[in-house]
Order: sequence, then structure tokens, then C-alpha cells
Amino acid sequence: MGAPPTQAALRRLAVTRRIIYLLVAVAVAVPSFCDLGCEFKPSPWVEKIFKKVESLKPGSPILLSFDFDPAAMEELYPMGLALLRHCFQNDLHPILMTHWPGGVGISKQIIEKAAKERDKLPGRDYVFLAFKPGYSNLVLNMGESLQGAFSRDFYNQPTAGMPALEGVRSLKDISLVVGLAAGATTEMWIAYGRDRFGFDLGAGCTAVITPDLYPFLNSGQLIGVLGGLRGAADYEKLVKRADRATKGMQAQSLTHVLIILLILGANAHYLWRRTRPNEKG
Amino acid sequence: MWYKLTIPLVMCFAMGLVAFVHEFVPHPWAAAFREEMTTWFRIMGGFAMFIGLYALLHLHVTRIRRQQAGWAYSAFVFLGAVLTIGAGVFEEIRAAVRDVPEGAFSPFDWLYDYVQVPCQATIFSILAFFMASAAFRTFRARNVGAALLLVSAVVVMFGRVPISEEVGRMLGAWDTFPRAADWLMEYPNMAVKRAIFLGISLGAISQSLRVLFGIERSYLGGGS
Repeated sequence: MGAPPTQAALRRLAVTRRIIYLLVAVAVAVPSFCDLGCEFKPSPWVEKIFKKVESLKPGSPILLSFDFDPAAMEELYPMGLALLRHCFQNDLHPILMTHWPGGVGISKQIIEKAAKERDKLPGRDYVFLAFKPGYSNLVLNMGESLQGAFSRDFYNQPTAGMPALEGVRSLKDISLVVGLAAGATTEMWIAYGRDRFGFDLGAGCTAVITPDLYPFLNSGQLIGVLGGLRGAADYEKLVKRADRATKGMQAQSLTHVLIILLILGANAHYLWRRTRPNEKG
Repeated sequence: MWYKLTIPLVMCFAMGLVAFVHEFVPHPWAAAFREEMTTWFRIMGGFAMFIGLYALLHLHVTRIRRQQAGWAYSAFVFLGAVLTIGAGVFEEIRAAVRDVPEGAFSPFDWLYDYVQVPCQATIFSILAFFMASAAFRTFRARNVGAALLLVSAVVVMFGRVPISEEVGRMLGAWDTFPRAADWLMEYPNMAVKRAIFLGISLGAISQSLRVLFGIERSYLGGGS
């Protein structure tokens, strides 16, 4: 155990912390006033999901599971919006659901915004199934009967006989599922959905979860991944509609550079102190 | 003690065995059974939400009654719960008694859009400030392992943002940093993650077998 920090050290730490907060605030705010104009190329894992969506014929169903709540909306909202815009652009029939009770409102906002842009109607062009409890059991139920698991949609319309669900009786009739996750639902979709019912599975997730999904990309259990705000910006670029993720990349660029400079500066100071003759690091 | 110990253990073993076996039986009976079971699990999941709500409110009632430190925050939990449940119940009753035109004011949606969304998004966004401060204070090249971690973090952080491609263009190859970041994610990161997942899975299997065979009994409660 080292000696407890002195009052002076604690005061210095508090001041340093405030300066860092101020610097981060400036780094986040600057791109709001001026365009840094950084160009970027979409990652191959994002392109794979884009190409899979492109390969679907008009009228094909695609299941989107928005498993997040407003806490993760800065990363996953633009991702969901870009995906839905792509679906509507190609006249696909998105089926939207969520495993998170707090995700219903945000999912509704996204689908209604994307649908309004293209005059798409619920029931005819898309289905909003909203939330039901059950998690993996719900997925297993959907694998047996989609209409059995969700007898009514969010707007209280019966799902049986719904034009947007024509030819869809269960998950076996859906060729692509994309799960946007702020938790562990991607692994659940792999174990209880993709591996049992044989659909292709794409994932979108917050940046902090992305490293966990690489083993599944390597094994082919995931066709691709949209990782964090960058994944959303990549998808916006592919659908040729720059929006809040693309804008957010500039703030993220500056903030990352700032953090790197802070780390390098702190380490330079640390090494300098260690090499001084009368001080320990 | 047989009804407290033997029956739960037998039930656990029987249900675990049935759940395990029907996965490998392609008979329609097994599919029908699975559908029935998963439906019941979902129904129980619905009730579990009520239990969760009860537990949450009970915890905060206790805090308020004992006036523990920060008990005023517990009062906010009640305020939020009462307002949200009240708004939801009001809307259901309103929809039942008369036709609600499309676009009519919805207090429930208002609470979600203007209270929950900004609060949750703000709290999550504040992480950027804490992370910057924590990275500054804790990332130190104290030894070889820490230095490797530091370099990896810097490469991934830089390679993930568009500015790295601009810097790469100046150096002659735009994808230098993104490729370095991808390499770190696709090889060292993936190998470690796979090892961790395998370890967790083996642990989960052994723990499940211990529960099935009655070796692990802590879920029954009552200590040893």
C-alpha cells in the first residue's frame, strides 16, 4: 500500500480533470461550427451487410431487432435509420421488433421517420411488432410461428393475413435478420435463431461490444457487423445519405486524437519523472 | 425435508433432462412440446416483470422509511413510476372510451421522448468525459505488458476514426492505420475473446451438470 494522496495532489487531480473535461467539450463542439471534411471508406464487414440487403428482391422480408434503449441511441439510432432507409429504398418489407421494453419508443421513432420519408404504411410495407417478454424463448416461438408469437402488431392490428407478412410463417421464411444490440442479444440471436433456423445474421452494436463479436465473424455465424458510430457512418455512406453518424465522426475523430495526445503526454511526463535521479515513478 | 429438498431436486433433474432430450428429437411431438414450454416461459417472464417492479419499489420504500443517505432520490423513483404508470393507464382508458385521433397528445410518449430519452442519452454521453479522464490517469507504460496494451489502444482508437485515413493519405497509404486496427481486432483480440468464450462455455456446462445432478443446491436457498 502506498501513502495516501496529499491534499495538494487531490487538488491538482481535480483541476486536471476539469481541464480534460473542458478539452473534450471543445473537441466535441468544434465540428458543430466547422466541417473538418475527413473522407473515409466503409469497412468490409459493413459492406457485407449492405451487399446482403442489396441482394434481396423487392418484397422480401427482413427482420430487424432493435435491442437497445435511449442510452445507446447516439450509436444505434443512426444505424437503425440507415438500415431502414436502405430497406425502404429497395422496397423490402422490414419486420421490426425489440427485446428491450425501453426500446419500443425509440424503435417507433426510427421506423415512423423512415416510413414517412417514403410514404410507407404499417401492415402493407412494414410490420412493427414492438416488444414481448421472453428473450430466447420468444425467438424459439418465432421459429415455430411468427403469428403465434406476435398475434398483433404495435398498432393492435392482427398479424395474420397482413400483406407485409405474406409468405412469412416463421423465422425459417426470413433470409436475413439484423440485430442492433446494446447488450448480449446478438449472441442470443446466434444460438437460438441463426443456428436453429438457418437465416443469415448481421449485427450492429455499440463500439464497446464490437470486439466480442469477432469470433462469430470468423466462424461465419455473423455475415457482418456495424460497430459503433463508425459502423453507422459507414452504412450512411453506402446508402449515400450522410446524416448524424457521418457528422458525429468528426467529433469522434477529434476526441480520439485528443485522448491519444493526453495518453502520450501523460506517459512522456511519467517517463521523464522516472528518469529523474531522485524520484520514483 | 423431502418436499423442500427431494421434490425440487427431482423436478429440476426431470425438467433439465426433458429440455435437453427434446432438442435432439425431430418428432413433431417434441416441436409441439417446445412451443408449449417456450410459451409458458414467456408468460412467466411477464409475471417476472411485476416481481421486478415490486422488488424495486420495496427497496426504495425501505430506503425512504429508514431515511438512508440519498433517500430523496428514492422518492424520485416513485414519482417517475407513478407518473409513467398513470400516463399509460390514462391513455388506455381514453382509447377505450372514445376514438383518439391520430397525432393526439400522448402524455406517455411525451414522458418517454422528453424525459427518458434525454436523461438516458445524456448519462451515456457523459462517459466520453470520464473515459478521457480515466485514460489520461491510468494508461501508463509501467512494464512491457502495459506498454503493449497502451500501443494497441492508441492504434485501435486512431485507426477507427476517419482522420487516420487523412493522415495515411499524407504518408502515402490511406489504409495504414485502419488495417493495423483491423489486424489487432481480427487476430489478437479474436483469439483472446474466443479463449474467454470457450472458458465461459465450459464453466456454464459444468455448472449446469452440477445443478442437474443435485450437486449444486444453492438455488434452493437456506444455506448449506
